[in-house]
Amino acid sequence: MDMIIAGLLDSLSPASLMFVFLGVAVGVLIGAIPGINGPMAIALFIPVTYYMSPLTAIGFLVGLNKGAFFGGAVSAVLLRTPGTPEAAATSWDGYPLTLKGKGEKALRMALYSSVAGDFMSTLVLILIAAPLAAVALFMGPAEIFALISLALTVIAGIGTVSILRGLMAASFGILVGLVGTEPVTALPRLTFDIYQLGGGLSLIPVAIGLLAFSEILIQLEKFTGKGGGEHIANVFSSKLKDRMLSFKEFFVHKKSLLRGSLIGIGVGAMPGLGAPVASFMSYDQAMKRSKNSEEFGHGSLEGIGASESANSAVVASSMIPLFVLGIPGNLAVAMLMGAFMIHGMQPGPLMFQENAQLMYGIYGSLIIASLFLLLIGRFGLRLFCKAVEIPPMILYPIVMFTCIMGAYLGQSSMFDVTVMLAFGFIGYFMRKFDYSYVAFLIGFILAPEWERALQQVVIISEHDTFMFFQRPVAMVLMALTFFVIARTFWISINAGHKKRLEASDAGQHKSD
Amino acid sequence: MFTWGIPTYTPAYPGYGASPALVSYVAVSIMLFMACLSLVRIGVATFLKKPIPVAESSFPEDMEQAAAFTQLGRVNLSSLARIMIPCVLFVVVIEYISYVFAAFLFLMILQYAIGNRKWIQSVVVSVALTTVLYIVMRYGFGVPIPGPQIF
Repeated sequence: MDMIIAGLLDSLSPASLMFVFLGVAVGVLIGAIPGINGPMAIALFIPVTYYMSPLTAIGFLVGLNKGAFFGGAVSAVLLRTPGTPEAAATSWDGYPLTLKGKGEKALRMALYSSVAGDFMSTLVLILIAAPLAAVALFMGPAEIFALISLALTVIAGIGTVSILRGLMAASFGILVGLVGTEPVTALPRLTFDIYQLGGGLSLIPVAIGLLAFSEILIQLEKFTGKGGGEHIANVFSSKLKDRMLSFKEFFVHKKSLLRGSLIGIGVGAMPGLGAPVASFMSYDQAMKRSKNSEEFGHGSLEGIGASESANSAVVASSMIPLFVLGIPGNLAVAMLMGAFMIHGMQPGPLMFQENAQLMYGIYGSLIIASLFLLLIGRFGLRLFCKAVEIPPMILYPIVMFTCIMGAYLGQSSMFDVTVMLAFGFIGYFMRKFDYSYVAFLIGFILAPEWERALQQVVIISEHDTFMFFQRPVAMVLMALTFFVIARTFWISINAGHKKRLEASDAGQHKSD
Repeated sequence: MFTWGIPTYTPAYPGYGASPALVSYVAVSIMLFMACLSLVRIGVATFLKKPIPVAESSFPEDMEQAAAFTQLGRVNLSSLARIMIPCVLFVVVIEYISYVFAAFLFLMILQYAIGNRKWIQSVVVSVALTTVLYIVMRYGFGVPIPGPQIF
């Protein structure tokens, strides 16, 4: 109990409050800019947190992530250009409302739904993470090895149309993650005689290169050099009822909001699915069950609420696998895991024993971030809408230079800048040829832990290959891993077969 | 990697635990296996004169659907070079001409490369960004500024 009170008091310290506030404000601003999302913002700002205490740093990054999730709705509603992928469903109903001059009302619905989903998800995280972590402590190296194998397999399907390429990307990430000092012999491995690689590749330059720099390279390709910022000046109606959202208008959709939040919590807790899945699933369910389903797609507040409550609920619940098992469920959490490691903590069930006060402090920061999101969104909405008007001509050089200096800031090393540029270059080709950079990054982060677990299994079992068969949980997890791979192969083969059948059918109809 | 990279740059097996090369070999094997599988599927499709399976095609037929979650597309080398060359030059010249000049020049060149021909705006953005990051790094975080110091 003392730990809980001390942790919560830590989260109420002026420095912590200030940085959580800053994190949420910057997150909303960044999320509102199309092309920049939460994980990218976390990657860019992790170097800044080197100089903060662990609680302040994590509070700031969590605030950034929460803010970016709502920020994505701003450009989705005003421009029909989702700032983040999960805000795509929000744009379907938000933009028609904007065209009717009700953009502010749509944004208020998005804000209140986001806060509701996020708050509920935070409560679930607080209630179930610690008890589940206590159970997870019974897992040995064999289970951890099998669990990471399963997570890598599931995650290989994110952000790609091909699991083959996803698995290749995850394996490449593992290979890159092995560069550095080998844990058993303490000798350099895969360093190619480059002495700066002796300590391994740092997460910051790799993440900034893959997430932010390569994204800007792609954005600049589409940029003709002639476009300015989008102008949104005429979308706010002067009528008060078109701008404000009454309690009745909000609470009449309570069922969709609750359903959306529960979907978001469920999807977030499962590694590999992510916020876009939650958002689309919730929108679909709301449309099917709504009395006014014909309004969906034409400016339904219920549609906005369903989408936003679900995607914001993912933020906190996606930390459940991180806190319970030490496995990141999505990219934003993978970046947070990196931040934990930079501040000397290994995420996982042991955190509740080793850093209990800090964990409760983080819980406090999560709740405070939700409240700040409500405040900042409520009073700064019009200001954040201006973010979508920043001309790309000014924005892109700023982001690129911030990427370069952010990579330098971590270890004050120009070698890290070179690494960032190299991974930006690699990331560009990975995006172009559909090799999941998400799978790569998660493979890179999990590689040392995976290898450590394997080493422990081999040493404990004295090279007994059948050790997994003596551990039922590990055996089930390994079986699930193989099942996921086999099922995905089966689906991809069937999809190709179906497509060929459809193509031949279409050909036959044409000749008829 | 199999025949040169991993064996040459991995420590010898110490006699206990797993070999330091094991996970590297597993990772490369998975990559190789997946690549071979893709090649076989493409080969079979080509031999049978059927469309290449979606999962193996760099550009799926249903591009609209794929593009919703991925950024598939053709590589634009000239655009890539236009951005990468100033970045690489910045890393090289910063060691000689100091952060202040290198950053200013880099930002000017970068803005020109992306099509900004408003010179006053370019100069203002370059000076402002260089100054702000200099102040943040030197006085905010206290980190050494890269390259020779002139201030």
